[in-house]
Amino acid sequence: MNKKHRMFVRMVLASLIRRRSRMIVALLAVVVGATILSGLGLIYYDVPRQMSAQFRSYGANVIFTPSGDSYITDDEIKKAVSVFPSDKLEGYTPYRYENSKLNNLPVTLAGTDFSSVLKTSPYWHISGELPDGNGKTLVGKKLAEKFGFSTGDSFSMLNSFQVTDDTDLSVIPDYEIYTDPQTGEKYCDHMLDLSLSGILETGGPEEEYIYVTLDDLSALMRSDRGCDLAEVSVAAREEELKGYLDDINNGSGNLTAKPVKRVTASESTVLSKLESLVLIVTAVVLALTMICVATTMMAVIAERRREIGLRKALGALDSSIILEFLSEGLVLGAVGGITGSLLGYLFANTVSMNVFSSAITFRPLLIPVAIIVSVAVTGLACLIPIRSAVDVDPALVLKGE
Amino acid sequence: MFFRMIIGAFRRQWKKMLMIALTVALGASIATAMLNVMLDVGDKINEELKAYGSNITVVPNSQAVMSDLYDVEEDEKKDEYLAEETLGEFLTIFWANNITDFAPVLDTVVTVDGNEVQLIGTWFDHHFEFKKKGTVYQRDTGIINLRSWWDITDGEWLDEAKLSGDDYAMIGKKLSETLGVKAGDKIKVKGAKGTEELEITGIFESGDDEENCIFTPLSAAQRISGAEGKYKKAEVSAITSPDDELAVKAARNPDLLSGDEYDLWYCTAYVSSICFQIQEAIPDASARAVRQIADSEGKILEKTELLMALITLMSLIGATLGISNLVTSSVMERSAELALMKAVGAKNGQITLLVLTEIILTAVVGAAAGYFMGYGFAQVIGQSVFSSAIEMSGMVAFLVTVLIIAVTLVGSIPAVRMILRLRPSEVLHGGH
Repeated sequence: MNKKHRMFVRMVLASLIRRRSRMIVALLAVVVGATILSGLGLIYYDVPRQMSAQFRSYGANVIFTPSGDSYITDDEIKKAVSVFPSDKLEGYTPYRYENSKLNNLPVTLAGTDFSSVLKTSPYWHISGELPDGNGKTLVGKKLAEKFGFSTGDSFSMLNSFQVTDDTDLSVIPDYEIYTDPQTGEKYCDHMLDLSLSGILETGGPEEEYIYVTLDDLSALMRSDRGCDLAEVSVAAREEELKGYLDDINNGSGNLTAKPVKRVTASESTVLSKLESLVLIVTAVVLALTMICVATTMMAVIAERRREIGLRKALGALDSSIILEFLSEGLVLGAVGGITGSLLGYLFANTVSMNVFSSAITFRPLLIPVAIIVSVAVTGLACLIPIRSAVDVDPALVLKGE
Repeated sequence: MFFRMIIGAFRRQWKKMLMIALTVALGASIATAMLNVMLDVGDKINEELKAYGSNITVVPNSQAVMSDLYDVEEDEKKDEYLAEETLGEFLTIFWANNITDFAPVLDTVVTVDGNEVQLIGTWFDHHFEFKKKGTVYQRDTGIINLRSWWDITDGEWLDEAKLSGDDYAMIGKKLSETLGVKAGDKIKVKGAKGTEELEITGIFESGDDEENCIFTPLSAAQRISGAEGKYKKAEVSAITSPDDELAVKAARNPDLLSGDEYDLWYCTAYVSSICFQIQEAIPDASARAVRQIADSEGKILEKTELLMALITLMSLIGATLGISNLVTSSVMERSAELALMKAVGAKNGQITLLVLTEIILTAVVGAAAGYFMGYGFAQVIGQSVFSSAIEMSGMVAFLVTVLIIAVTLVGSIPAVRMILRLRPSEVLHGGH
């Protein structure tokens, strides 16, 4: 390093250290700008993903139905859901519907998996508890009102079927056989005892069903025929979802995957609005903040007109003065940019934890962007007052005019 | 003398003052725009969430349990109806203005080419007028807004105002494939009380069971099913406030609320209070919240509002730091001038007063300009995102004024302290 360079470095450092309070002011301005840049940037990039997860509270956005007239089996469902990336799959719930009778009135029985039902229908309001195993049931509110059921009650579901010589009765725990006096045909009454764990309120048709486990329903119906449909909740946007569904529909033969248009189409409408909201807010706030940073820098530099005048009087070249001030700006921009991007990350993370209860994805690319923007804004903001100071006759500047 | 000095300062240093005013204006405009957008974002997103369709269904009080959707074997199914006149009552309730759309539904099973099909009578984009106690209520409403997710694959939406008569229908895509018909074709439907020929105006794709249905104007369905002047169910879409503790308490039993709680609950647009008011207006009806829509709306709204509030907070911190920073640096810069004043005998109090007055005057001018800039930015955001204006709250103007004055004063503190410490001889000599 030759003498000239060493002197240059010393001047830059000395100016940063000696004029501490001014430099703190300038640095603070840059840090604020960089914090807002990286904080809002991170939020902007992460909001669609986080919001998309929130939209899963609308429940299932994909439905599996049998392709033909048959039913879908557990294995087929498992195979189909394996197409979705595991971090995007919120959950899936199989449903099997059967008509049955309760106190001689027709009711619909639905067999399902209670452990996953709240993943695909998070909006279910259950007074009491969600059944946690066989022999327990969840009854729709309207049906419960009709039969006068309340939580803790017990009742039995009845399935009557004709008994022939081939009928295997060993699978049924308790039954009663009687003979029709007119035809001589034998019938079996199979009972399923259920205790009522909870009452379901949804405001929809679900309020008219009795929900039991798939095992209980298979036992009552004496067949494990598979399911009528499966609801799947996937944290993916309409387009992305379409790709997965095409994969499923092309791959497996017996199962059709359809998007629930009401949920997927509305989600993309609302999400795109939200995204553009955050984008434009970010743009407006960033633009204003950057101008703010620039005016502060200009004020800090303008104050040093006397110094510039003195240097010119001592014979400094315009270019070397400009270079020195720009280097100061560069150092400020870099230090402010790094500090700001870390603070911005902390801020964005706090926002994310508070709003979405999950950490924000850190994007390393934002650090260089924040530094480059900070340096550019600081540099530009320095350049304007320096140029005007440099252009002026040193005598006038020193005189204070 | 004081005023002359202040006026003098502005005349001599107008460039610096302009810079301060500009920065204050920028900060104030960020604060104004963000606060207004934040306060209005709930309503705006709520309107967008109406895309999900109705969040309240209204059915006859004692509707038979076994009905719609699942084909349960019916022994003594007796249909129950609501009278068409009751539809007007939706417009008379306390929160009528929050009801964005509503439509009656009358479904009946008809035969088309030997296929049993569900026919649904409803309003598409209906101009509705209702007179009660000398007041005329009117509204354009119907399922065109309650089925935002429908894709019209052939033809167009059934336009009730433009078409004469009501022998028109929209049919689902699946059904159109089964029947082999397209828009413009006519289908013969045979219902309980007669046969009608309906012209298909459009074919829609909805991704659910409605793709197997025929949708006709309500009057046509009433004729076909023989249920003149009646409907079975109404779908209502209302802008609601997210449920909180009070709403949960009220949902159990409104009678258990204390007088004040009851008033607060009744006068807040909770989904439960709107349901309650509908039931009050139509004694035969039972109004229920569609949990899937109502609950999710609440969650999304809450998250969006919180997100915007935190972003606003961040921009406010940024704006205030920016302003106070500039104020500090611009006062410090004048140390020579202030020291001179001290040297000729000015007291600390006088100098402080002078500096503060200058700064506050500048800040007020900047804040006023900033408020209007912020108004502009808020409208840019509103128009470009939601295609509607952001409502400006008077509270924001007050808040921004207080904030800017406070920030300017706080920003001046380090500078004022510096003035008090100044030793004129040192400063004037040039040592810092």
